[in-house]
Amino acid sequence: MSAVPVLETRGLGRNFGGLRAVSDVSFSVPEGQVLGVIGPNGAGKSTFINLVTGHIKPSEGRVLIDGKDLTGARPWVIAKAGVARTFQIVKPFRGMSVRENVAVGILYGPQGTNVMSRALKDADEVLEEVGMAGVGDRPPGELSVADARRLEFAKALALRPRLLLLDEVMAGLRHTEIEPSLELIRSLKARGITIIVVEHVMKAILAVSDQVLVLSQGKILTSGDPQEVLRDPRVIEAYLGHRYAKRREGDS
Amino acid sequence: MPTSTQTPTSTQVPRQSVIGVVRSPQARRLFPWVLGAVGMLAALGLQSQLFLGQQRTVAAIFMFVALAQAWNLIGGFAGYACFGQVAFFGIGGYFTAVAISHWHLSFWVALPLSGVVAALFATVIGIPLLRLKGHYFAIATLGVAEGMREVVTNLPDLTGGGAGITIPTVGDQATTAYLGNDGFYLLFLALAVLAVVVGGLVARNKFGYALRAIHQDEDAAAAMGINTTRMKVLTFALSGFITGLVGATYAFQQVTIFPERLFDVNITVLMIIMVIIGGAGTVLGPLLGAVALQFLSEFLRENFTDLHTFILGAIIIVAVILLPQGAVNYMREARRTKEFSLLANVRKYRL
Repeated sequence: MSAVPVLETRGLGRNFGGLRAVSDVSFSVPEGQVLGVIGPNGAGKSTFINLVTGHIKPSEGRVLIDGKDLTGARPWVIAKAGVARTFQIVKPFRGMSVRENVAVGILYGPQGTNVMSRALKDADEVLEEVGMAGVGDRPPGELSVADARRLEFAKALALRPRLLLLDEVMAGLRHTEIEPSLELIRSLKARGITIIVVEHVMKAILAVSDQVLVLSQGKILTSGDPQEVLRDPRVIEAYLGHRYAKRREGDS
Repeated sequence: MPTSTQTPTSTQVPRQSVIGVVRSPQARRLFPWVLGAVGMLAALGLQSQLFLGQQRTVAAIFMFVALAQAWNLIGGFAGYACFGQVAFFGIGGYFTAVAISHWHLSFWVALPLSGVVAALFATVIGIPLLRLKGHYFAIATLGVAEGMREVVTNLPDLTGGGAGITIPTVGDQATTAYLGNDGFYLLFLALAVLAVVVGGLVARNKFGYALRAIHQDEDAAAAMGINTTRMKVLTFALSGFITGLVGATYAFQQVTIFPERLFDVNITVLMIIMVIIGGAGTVLGPLLGAVALQFLSEFLRENFTDLHTFILGAIIIVAVILLPQGAVNYMREARRTKEFSLLANVRKYRL
């Protein structure tokens, strides 16, 4: 355990034209923690992930990974630094089998290899880890919604990351399908991987997060212990509108 | 999705042996190379059986095999449809012509240099142009090729301009003896083999996986640690290198070259059609596409003198409608899914 946080952002912000999608986001994630990021639609959660992983360049602020300033670095540099991510809209490589999809990450990840046979073998291990053993030969287009999301997960894990950013990997899943994903996140945490979970499924956030960060209109609304944060009237207001929040306050 | 059977949960799917023949993985990996070697030996053996005119025709097939393979690297694997590929062909040809007639270099020195110059050109234009996607990239590269033709036409002191340039092949100005039909047959065959081997190596290695990932989704590819910019430019340069070599050989074979011929947009179009019909992003596809289209074109030219382009065009249209993903990709899918119906294939790929 090092004292340097795996991820630290300082005053991170991004404008799209006149819209401030993310502004002044400063916080840090210590090694081995699971951080839940929540917020209503359009709060800037995905933009935040894109800023950290280099898919969008920040307008202001800094991104430090393991204490190293990687602000505005290209996505593959960030990936090679041990940061893996999933995409909210799944992005499988069609025209490759599921196994080959995962092998790409093993070939080009931080510890990359040049040996095809080893990459394909390791890919099978990753698939097993996420509960997809046996579908390695199939094209990703034939996967169910749950498996397509799991493939995103597997592709990110193929990088053997130190920091994993999960952008709504549980969206659209049934309750029975969510549990294995939560189990997987717990086991990754047990292996010392730092994880940021962006999710709408509140139950899932509560179940795995050590810390919760609430974004609203691109800014940090509040952060801290999951249970406390969810009781925060400002959080309820952001999600359900101030009239509902007022009524609740009157009730209690 | 009409054909695929959905499994809601990830259950174990028994792996089916497609052909029913048990083959070791090693044998399966070696098989294409053995097939390629047999094909090359057959091509060598064929040479002695051909008349002079036929030899030129077959040499042209080899030339297009090499060109289609080169286009397939950038257009098929990486998914960047280059409509200006002929620029590399013309640059290679003109570099060789100028190097032999002005600088008195041997053809055997000019040939590899032509490839290098074409690759450098691809790198220089690739860095800005490979930021464009889809139609924009296609149009930009088309513009580059058209522009290069004008540049070459307007440098008469160096290139002979529109009047053309003649490579000295006899007398004391000749640096390398003309290779003759036999020589060019072998040289084009060698280039075709080189291009197929490069395609095969790319398809099976780490590099090919990066290109296919880039083809499908560049953001996702970058997130997997692939330096997409470097990969694309490298691929473009490699594609340009092979195309430049072919252009250089073509120029020497033609002796006298003109900008309209060496920068003819039809050459690009032929490469693209061959790759699309055969199967983009495969090694066998461009090979089969080039052989089939050149063979068909020659056959029609001999038997239907007046209508041959019309019939050829019709056949291409029908082929693209029935097999939009190309013959090789269709066969692969059909064998996997056991769905051989062409109608189902049309339905699956229609826009």
